[in-house]
Amino acid sequence: MSKIIGAVEIGTSKAKALVGEVTAEGGLSIVGMASRPNEGVRKGEIVDYRKAATAVHAALEEAEKMSGTTVDSVYLAQTGAHLRGQMLRGSASVSSSDNRVSVSDLERASKEAKRRQPETGRSYVHHIRTPIILDEKVVEDPVGMLGDKIDLGYWSIDGDDQAIRLALHVISNYSLEVADLILSSIASSTMMAGPDLRRAGTLVIDMGAGVTDLALYRQGYVAFTGVVPVGGDHVTGDLSMGLRILEPYAEKLKIEHGTASSRSSDDKEEVWIIGNKTIGDRSVPRKAISDVIHVRVVELFEIISKELGGLLDPDELKGGVLLTGGGSLLPGIEEIAGKVLGLPVRRASFPPGIAPELAQPENATVLGLLHYGLQDHGLPGRKAGESQTIMSKIAGLVGIGMN
Amino acid sequence: MSQENFLDQDTSFSPANENTGIRAKIIGIGGAGMSLVDGLRFDDFQGVDHLVMDVDGRALSDSIASEKLAFGRRHTRGMGTGGEFVLARKAIEEEKDLVRQKLEGIDVVFLLAGLGGGTGGGAVPVVARLARDAGALVFAFTPLPFSWEKGRHAQAEECLAELRKHANAVVPLPNDSLIQMGGPDATALECFAEAGRNVGKGISAICSLIFRRGMIDVDFAHLKKAFNRRAGRTLFGYGEGEGPDAIRHALRELMVCPMLHLPDVSKAADALLILITGGTGMSMKALQQASTEIRAEFKAGQHVVFGAHVDENMGDCVQITVLGATDIGAGSAKADVTPASEHVMAASPKARKAHESKLASTKPVARSSSSRKRSKAKDSIDQNTFDFMEDGNQRGIFDDLPSRNLYEGEDLDVPAYLRRGVKIAV
Repeated sequence: MSKIIGAVEIGTSKAKALVGEVTAEGGLSIVGMASRPNEGVRKGEIVDYRKAATAVHAALEEAEKMSGTTVDSVYLAQTGAHLRGQMLRGSASVSSSDNRVSVSDLERASKEAKRRQPETGRSYVHHIRTPIILDEKVVEDPVGMLGDKIDLGYWSIDGDDQAIRLALHVISNYSLEVADLILSSIASSTMMAGPDLRRAGTLVIDMGAGVTDLALYRQGYVAFTGVVPVGGDHVTGDLSMGLRILEPYAEKLKIEHGTASSRSSDDKEEVWIIGNKTIGDRSVPRKAISDVIHVRVVELFEIISKELGGLLDPDELKGGVLLTGGGSLLPGIEEIAGKVLGLPVRRASFPPGIAPELAQPENATVLGLLHYGLQDHGLPGRKAGESQTIMSKIAGLVGIGMN
Repeated sequence: MSQENFLDQDTSFSPANENTGIRAKIIGIGGAGMSLVDGLRFDDFQGVDHLVMDVDGRALSDSIASEKLAFGRRHTRGMGTGGEFVLARKAIEEEKDLVRQKLEGIDVVFLLAGLGGGTGGGAVPVVARLARDAGALVFAFTPLPFSWEKGRHAQAEECLAELRKHANAVVPLPNDSLIQMGGPDATALECFAEAGRNVGKGISAICSLIFRRGMIDVDFAHLKKAFNRRAGRTLFGYGEGEGPDAIRHALRELMVCPMLHLPDVSKAADALLILITGGTGMSMKALQQASTEIRAEFKAGQHVVFGAHVDENMGDCVQITVLGATDIGAGSAKADVTPASEHVMAASPKARKAHESKLASTKPVARSSSSRKRSKAKDSIDQNTFDFMEDGNQRGIFDDLPSRNLYEGEDLDVPAYLRRGVKIAV
C-alpha cells in the first residue's frame, strides 16, 4: 500500500506545497506541487498570519487537487533569524557485563545530550545527529560491538516559540498534522548534496528571497547550520533605493538584467525600467544595477565567511561550495562567492529523476523536505518511527497532551 | 545651474518686494553646521540673519557669519568637546538665556548641525527647544555620519530622536546618501559640496516663499499651519531642469535626488511644501501638471503648500524644491494603525487625557478628524520611542518591520551600497 505525504515551505516570496506518494517498496514520486506568492512572510518569518495562511492553504489545495488525493500530514520547513544552532553532546558507558553496546546505551547517551533545555520561550526545532563515537572511533552502528564508552552529539536548533507556533497554526488550520519540523537548510542540502559530497565535506548555501540558509557537512555529518537574514529581497530593496524606482520594477530589473558584478563591456549600456517606454519610464545604466547588486552579494558572502570562520577549511571541504535557491540564478554569483570564500563554488544540480519542471533551485527546500523526512534519522537499532516524534518537540507549543 | 547664476537670480529682487515683518535666522552649530552656514550666502534676503555657535573659539573666529556665540567656555576652555555630546548639552543649557536673547523675535529658525559630533549633537536639540519655546518655526538640516562610523552613528541617532521632539521638521542628511550626489566621477568632497548647495537651495526656497511675492503665493501663516506639529519623518528634495521641457527634467531630477532616497512607504507626506521657481516662460499648465505629479508621488495629505515664483533671470530653467513632513505611523499603515491606536486610547483614559492636552497646546483649532487621527497614531508610537529606529529612512522595503537587522552594529536591511559608501551613478 502506498502512503501519501506532504511537504510545506512557507517561504518569503512563495508558499510551496508538495504531495508525494511513497510506494510500498519505499520509492517516492511527486504527484502534486503548487506554489503561491506569499506576502505574509518577511525574512523567513511570518509577519502577517492571515496572508501567509491564505497562500499556504491555496498552495496545499492546488497540490492536493493535482495529485487527486488528500494529505494527512506534512513536513514543515523552518527558517528565520530566530533559529540558533548548537552542538549538544552526551555520553554513556557501556552497561552490559560483556561490554557489548546495546540500544539502551545509545539511548542513554542520546538522552544526556538532549538533557539541556532551551531557554524559556524557545523550543527545539530540529536535532541533527552527528557521528556516534565508540571509544574515540567513529562508527556507523555500534550496537553489538565491543567497547567501553559511547559518545554522541546532536547539532540542535532551537527557535522562538512564537514564530514556530505561527507556522504550526498555518498547517493545523488546514486540518493537517505536522509530521515533523525540518530545518530548511537541512532539507535543501540533503536534496542538492549527495552522500558522496557530504562525506567529502561540503557547504550548501540556499539563497532564498528572505534569508540565506547554510548547512555545512564534514565527513558526512552536519557540522554547522545557520541562517543569514539577507536574501533576494534585499537585492530588490537595494535596487529600489539605489535606482529610485518602485519595488516591482526593481524586482523585474533584478531578474531580467541583474548580474553579480559588472562587465566592462556593458558599462554604458542602458536598460528601460518599465520597458514599454511610456510616460514615467526611464532608463538606467546596467552598471548601476550590477554595482548595487555586487556590493550586497559580496557583503553576504563576507558574512557567511565570518559566521563559518575556521570551518571554511579547504582540506575539510573537498566537495566545495554548492549554491542553490532562487538567488543562485543570478549570473556571476559563483565567481563572487568563490572569490570571497576562497573555495571552489558551483551551482548545485538536482539528482537525476526529478522532473525538469520541478528541478528549479527555488524548489530545493520543499523537495528536500520529503527526501529528508522519509529517511530514518533515529538511532541505529531502532525502527523508524520509534525515534523522537514531532509530538515531544512541539507538544508544549500547541498545548496538547502527550503520552 | 551654477552657484553664480543662482546668486544672480537672488540679487535681482528689490527689497521693496520683500515682506520685512518676518525674521528668519540660520543657525549653524558645531563644525559641520558652521561650514554649512558659511557655504550659504543669503545677504540679499533682508530679515535673514546668520548665527554660528560652537564651543571651539578658534573655529568660531574663522567663520564669516554675522553673529557668533561661543558657549561652554567653562567646560572646555574654548576647545572642542572631543565628541562628548553630553558635555555640549550641559554647556548650552547653562547659557540658555543668551541663546533665548538671540532667538527673540525670530519667526523661522533653520538649524544646521552635524549630529555625529559632540557640539552639534548635544546642543542642537536644546536650541531647537528654545526656539520652539520662543514661538519660532524650526527647520533642521542635519548631516548624519556614515553608518560605518559606528559609535558616532549610534550617538547621532540618539540626538536625532531628541531633536525630533522639538523641531517642526528635521531633514536628516545621511552621509551615506550624500555620497551619491553629483556626477559619476564626483569626489566625496564634491558630493558634500553639492549636498550643501542643495540644502542652501532648500532654505532659499523656504525663504523666498516667506519673503517674496510670487506667481502663486504662500504666506507665512500657511507654512506655519502646514508644519505646525512635531516632526515625524521629513523628506527634502531638489531638482532642476533646463530647456523647453524644463519642468519635466526638473521633476526627473527631483525623483532621483539622493536626498529623496526613500522607500515608497515613507514617501507619503502629510504636510508638503512644493516650490517651483522658473523663468517667465513657465506655463500655468506645466505648473499644474508638475504639482499634480509631485502630490501623487508623495501621496500628499491635505496640507500642501504650493508656491510658484517667476524670475526673469532664470530663462528656461526651472527649479523644484520639495519639503515634506510625515507623522510617523502614517503612510501605508495609516488605515490599519488608526483604529487600533484609537482603541488603545479609549482603553486607557489617562493616556487620552495626556494626549488631549498635547493636542490643545499644539493645535489651537480643532482640525478635521483625519488630522486628529494621524496625530493620535503618532502619539501612541512616540510613546514607544520607535522614532529614531526609523530615522534616516534608509531601510527601504524593510522600513515597515519593527526591528532592525543588526549584524556587528550594522543594519543589514539598509542597502549595502549605502553602508559601504559605494557610489551608484543613475
